[in-house]
Amino acid sequence: MGITSVGKVIHSFKLLLPALIPSWRFFDVIAPSPRIEFTLLETEDEAPVNWTEFRPRPQRLSVIQMFKRILWNPHWNESLFLVSCAERLMAHPTEHSRAEIQNRISRDLKRNEDMDLIQPYLQFRLVFLDRQGTEIKKRVMYMSPIHQHIENIV
Amino acid sequence: MTLEFAIRLTEILTGFAFIQQSMEHIFAPKNEQILFIPRIILCVFLILGFETEWVSLALMALALLMLYRFQGPYNGGSDRMSLLLLSCLCLVHFLPEQSWRELVFGYLALQLVMSYFISGWVKIINPEWRNGLALNDVFRYSSYPVSEHLRGLWNWPKLLLVMSWAVILFELIFPLTLISQPTLILGLVIAATFHLANAFLFGLNRFFWIWLAAYPSIIWLQFRIFDAF
Repeated sequence: MGITSVGKVIHSFKLLLPALIPSWRFFDVIAPSPRIEFTLLETEDEAPVNWTEFRPRPQRLSVIQMFKRILWNPHWNESLFLVSCAERLMAHPTEHSRAEIQNRISRDLKRNEDMDLIQPYLQFRLVFLDRQGTEIKKRVMYMSPIHQHIENIV
Repeated sequence: MTLEFAIRLTEILTGFAFIQQSMEHIFAPKNEQILFIPRIILCVFLILGFETEWVSLALMALALLMLYRFQGPYNGGSDRMSLLLLSCLCLVHFLPEQSWRELVFGYLALQLVMSYFISGWVKIINPEWRNGLALNDVFRYSSYPVSEHLRGLWNWPKLLLVMSWAVILFELIFPLTLISQPTLILGLVIAATFHLANAFLFGLNRFFWIWLAAYPSIIWLQFRIFDAF
């Protein structure tokens, strides 16, 4: 086992520690909440203008849909994982968190859109919502690098 | 309830909870499938009671790989409880003394109690939870409400104030349910209903299943402590 593999094992055990001695501070404070927005660009130099919210929540869910989600809720759980990635990107920026968000946007586009209509460059940003007094304020806290995404769909 | 029966029940419930979690990755990219498909197979063995000590160990190794793959838990608190359960199951199988095994399983039960009590404590010391504003914020702008329609609940501040206090008081009072078996069962039914509500309102379905899997440990601990008197 090489030094890199040993490092990976040690790192994984470090990630395990908060589970063995958990803090259980669920919802202790309501922190600013991230939304992921993306834009598609024709060229690497194009200035982004139109931003689209990634995976906006549905307007309504029926009680039956909510029941089904007790057993099967992959899309929502993946969205919550991306919320974690967005929060991690602000707290401790890593290539991993950026790539997770970027790859999943690319994958959704590939699934849902006509590939001929998709522009080749992708950029995403993180918008954080927070209450200040009685108003909800939006702040752009992160802009990803522009990325040629079509060749990089996982 | 004997320790052996509680452990067996925990294995079965954990197996089902892990299968539910893993099935949600069945259509994910290959680098996720490669972790979750073997996990489903191992969980079938765990449920059937086949070589559960080695199956638990293999599940633990997979869990470490998943932690590395996602650079932390995929699903926050529910994954943390999953890891805690799995770690305790591994330890109870490999520790040589019965008293050590009881200690480990008791630790799991204690953490379950703490998961409610600490959550209640951090809320009651926060004035925004006490006046209902925090739950208002959860519905108004957090990432959790499952539909835009549900967000409308932020317009019902009195209802949210009542809900906030109901959650805070239940979480704080939960340790007291240990005084007798009927009160504990009542407490666990209310707790499961609370997780079910969270699954409905916030889509936190994995919490529901994995917290249920930890309940045998607290039922065993209550029996172990109070049966002595």
